[in-house]
Amino acid sequence: MTFMELLKKGPFFLDGGFGTLVQKAGLKPGEAPESWNLTHPDEVTKIHRAYFEAGSNMVACNTFGVHPERYSLKECEEMIRAAVICAEQARAEAYASQERFIALDVGPCGKLLKPLGPLDFEDAVKGFTEVVRIGASYGVDCIFLETMNDGAETRAALLAAKENCDLPVLVSNAYGADGKLMTGGSPESVVAMLEGLGADAVGVNCSLGPDALAPIVERYLAVASVPVLMKPNAGLPQEKDGKTYYNVGPEEFSAQIAALVPKGLRIMGGCCGTTPDYIAALKQAVGGQVPPALVKKERTVIASRGCALELGKDPMIIGERINPTGKKRLRKALEEGDMAYVLNEAISQEERGAEVLDVNVGTPGVDEPALLAQAVQELQAVTDLPLQLDTADAAAMERALRVYNGKAMINSVNGKQEVMDAVFPLVKKYGGVLVALTLDEEGIPATAEGRLAIAERILKEAGKYGIESKDILFDTLTMTVSADGTAAQVTLDALRMIREKTGCGTVLGVSNVSFGLPEREVLGSAFLTMALERGLSAAIMNPLNDRMMGAMISFRTLTGRDENCGAYIRFAGELPAMQAVSPAAPAAAGAKETGAKGLRRAVVKGLCREAGSLAREALTAGQDGLELVKNEIIPALDEVGQGFEAKKLFLPQLMMSAEAAEAAFREIKEKTAGQAEGQPSKGRVVIATVKGDIHDIGKNIVRLLLENYGFEVTDLGKDVAPETVLEAVERLHAPVCGLSALMTTTVPAMAETVALLHERAPWCRVMVGGAVLTEEYAKEIHADGYGRDAMAAVRLAEQFVQQ
Amino acid sequence: MQEGLHLEELGEIPFDEKEILRYAMLPSFAPAPEELPLQECLKAVKGAAQCRAVWRRYPLKADGEGLDLGFARTDSKDLKRHLEGCGEILLFACTAGAETDRRIARAKLQSAAKGLLMHAIGAQQVEGGCDRLCEGLAEQFPDRQLTDRYSPGYGDLPLEMQRDVMKALDCGRTVGITLSESLLMTPSKSVTAIIGMKEKNI
Repeated sequence: MTFMELLKKGPFFLDGGFGTLVQKAGLKPGEAPESWNLTHPDEVTKIHRAYFEAGSNMVACNTFGVHPERYSLKECEEMIRAAVICAEQARAEAYASQERFIALDVGPCGKLLKPLGPLDFEDAVKGFTEVVRIGASYGVDCIFLETMNDGAETRAALLAAKENCDLPVLVSNAYGADGKLMTGGSPESVVAMLEGLGADAVGVNCSLGPDALAPIVERYLAVASVPVLMKPNAGLPQEKDGKTYYNVGPEEFSAQIAALVPKGLRIMGGCCGTTPDYIAALKQAVGGQVPPALVKKERTVIASRGCALELGKDPMIIGERINPTGKKRLRKALEEGDMAYVLNEAISQEERGAEVLDVNVGTPGVDEPALLAQAVQELQAVTDLPLQLDTADAAAMERALRVYNGKAMINSVNGKQEVMDAVFPLVKKYGGVLVALTLDEEGIPATAEGRLAIAERILKEAGKYGIESKDILFDTLTMTVSADGTAAQVTLDALRMIREKTGCGTVLGVSNVSFGLPEREVLGSAFLTMALERGLSAAIMNPLNDRMMGAMISFRTLTGRDENCGAYIRFAGELPAMQAVSPAAPAAAGAKETGAKGLRRAVVKGLCREAGSLAREALTAGQDGLELVKNEIIPALDEVGQGFEAKKLFLPQLMMSAEAAEAAFREIKEKTAGQAEGQPSKGRVVIATVKGDIHDIGKNIVRLLLENYGFEVTDLGKDVAPETVLEAVERLHAPVCGLSALMTTTVPAMAETVALLHERAPWCRVMVGGAVLTEEYAKEIHADGYGRDAMAAVRLAEQFVQQ
Repeated sequence: MQEGLHLEELGEIPFDEKEILRYAMLPSFAPAPEELPLQECLKAVKGAAQCRAVWRRYPLKADGEGLDLGFARTDSKDLKRHLEGCGEILLFACTAGAETDRRIARAKLQSAAKGLLMHAIGAQQVEGGCDRLCEGLAEQFPDRQLTDRYSPGYGDLPLEMQRDVMKALDCGRTVGITLSESLLMTPSKSVTAIIGMKEKNI
């Protein structure tokens, strides 16, 4: 039998702990186990041999810590080569009759990937590529990725393995006691991602004993279609007389693991604290038990870092708002690289009930592949909703799929041969659930039968790549009913037909149906209900629209999917609150004073909603926006600013006033948009947190206050290189630049930025601030001013632009 | 796991609103602004912060003018003063975790005030985690007197020592803390510190 056949059949025995034994053999604290491949090869061989003789079908080479992050490539090569030789020798010499294999052992690289850590995804892939390439060249039987506690790193390692060898890849992650990876992955989301990328076996190891890992293994068994492995510790480490030992003995250990074999566990061994005795006991405990045959799970699943969603149970809400088509403000944000706007769109849709977010950043003049990948990474840093990657550009799709942490929805393929040739290989390689549009070279068929025929052709072609039909959703294309009275009917008929004939799920972008007609959501929500009734699996829609959401939630409630009508009651309960903040609503109740005078008080007190509505009222009553700013808002801000400087008011109060002022400014801007500028600009200020530093709370406060005081602020964000600051200052010819640093270690980067600005942009005055800075320090690095706090920064900026 | 390391799951730390406002730079005598979105922020962070810590015990020796801490040596005078009379130290790292950072990042996008508050909540959580850890350590070593916590970067103890701390406690694997080139810890709401231990005077 081949290696893979043996794995699929089970039981298949792995080895046990290596570190434990090598420490016993004399490895000193602080000494790297992998160095022993070169210095003590006989000891390494002896350990492997002991495992083979205890009954292991596979040992992992002593290469866990070998990675270009720790060693030069030459050292990596020497250590891996020596490790494989040791394992091969053990295999040849072992007094054992079972089939015996050797795995290249690949552990974590020791650095966290972006956005949490400093390591770029592609750099992580490169590092693992070297390890895999060397290991494969020395003839190992498989690649064993183990003990990784970050989904993104696991993904990078698996991708490297799949791209650089044809060997089977076993992937084992380390979970915490909370049943999650350190960076938030759940068993379901991890399995979806790993299977999508083509892992040949998945499982768990290290961190806990067999009893604590068992529930996690059972969750794996419930969802995985590939073999599942388990390699627990010998319980938890305990200390006695300064020595560490583990609290679960071989018998107990084996019994707990063997109990999982009838449930489908087929690959098993031990991790920290286990020895050949444990493996021998395990083999004995399993005895003649054989796991039930491996079953493919017919589930359509998409996943993010930590959330897995199964399609087909309840209809899903895919938020449509991150798509620049017909959205001027978003298009502008994308052109300017204003990612904060995009991220806020994501958060507001999530808060209103979106379960998946469509992400489309295609607009003329942007580098779509780079922008889509950036958007995906930044979105995943703030939301755990699965994403639907939406682009017609295959290069953009591939870049986004590489970095997407999870199993994405891929929007889209269609029946055109050229498109299928470009998209299917991506789905095969990276995994994903594919949205397939029922159109082809001839356009969109006018009949439901025509659309079904395309769907069948797409399925056939997908089958050639090994893409399963459960991973395809069909979009039968919503057409505008105002252009063709039968359009909606054909779409809905096709939906039902495809569902019945192919068994595949379906998806529709529902908004389009009402294009060109008044009160669009009236029609749209009725269409949504009709589509849901015909078995729609997911709707691409606007979750911020009450009427559309109402239709979706009502459908769930009316079809027995909403226990005690809870979701409906919650939704209904939020309706009045939404109306109260909508622009058409009257001023908030309880406001005693009205008009301009009240506005001043509201800003001083930091009452955001009231400030906004009072400004609106004053404007509606015919007051001039500029006058309001000059006579009410600025004096209010000054009052608060002075209170802050006199230490009578404090940062939270200053900030709430700033936000209240901001709310009033928004109203004034809205009113004066189209007319001349609102508040005249006092000048441009470029601000940034310097390179190497990621603290931006203070910088954000400074930005808010500067904007309040009428400056145009260009915020470059955090961890900004000196050259990037210079580029912005030159391009905007900014008279003022503000730099923030919080750490002693990043002040040199600040000094460097100041020097560069003084040399190349001598017109620009540079103010600095941040926790570690002092007046003297600022002088030492030749800054033009030191801002003790946000108010001081405003005063400095005012002073600089006047000079 | 390496010999001698101890992992502690500290769980969720109760919110202490007074303390949080103090971290947000509001003195205890000043009233909180009426619309300060504190409750909203507490709701947003609820369930996210799962504090965990790793610690290890080392003998403490004099080394010329400086100190041999067991995992590193130092010439810090301030630390020497802090550890006077101690024969051992406990070195620990504690974090409120990656999810806390994500919630903070999210709030920062919504408004600067929320960003400030979330940052303060994170600080209270990890400091609360350290307190809980230290209470546990005091119980584990009933015959010892423990000093306050002292972190790299305090006084003349160089921040560079963070590199040694990460290595000694295998922080990436044990609690998921990594260090950037500029010595920033990720997750950001993390604390490393040294505690001195001496015999109790009876």
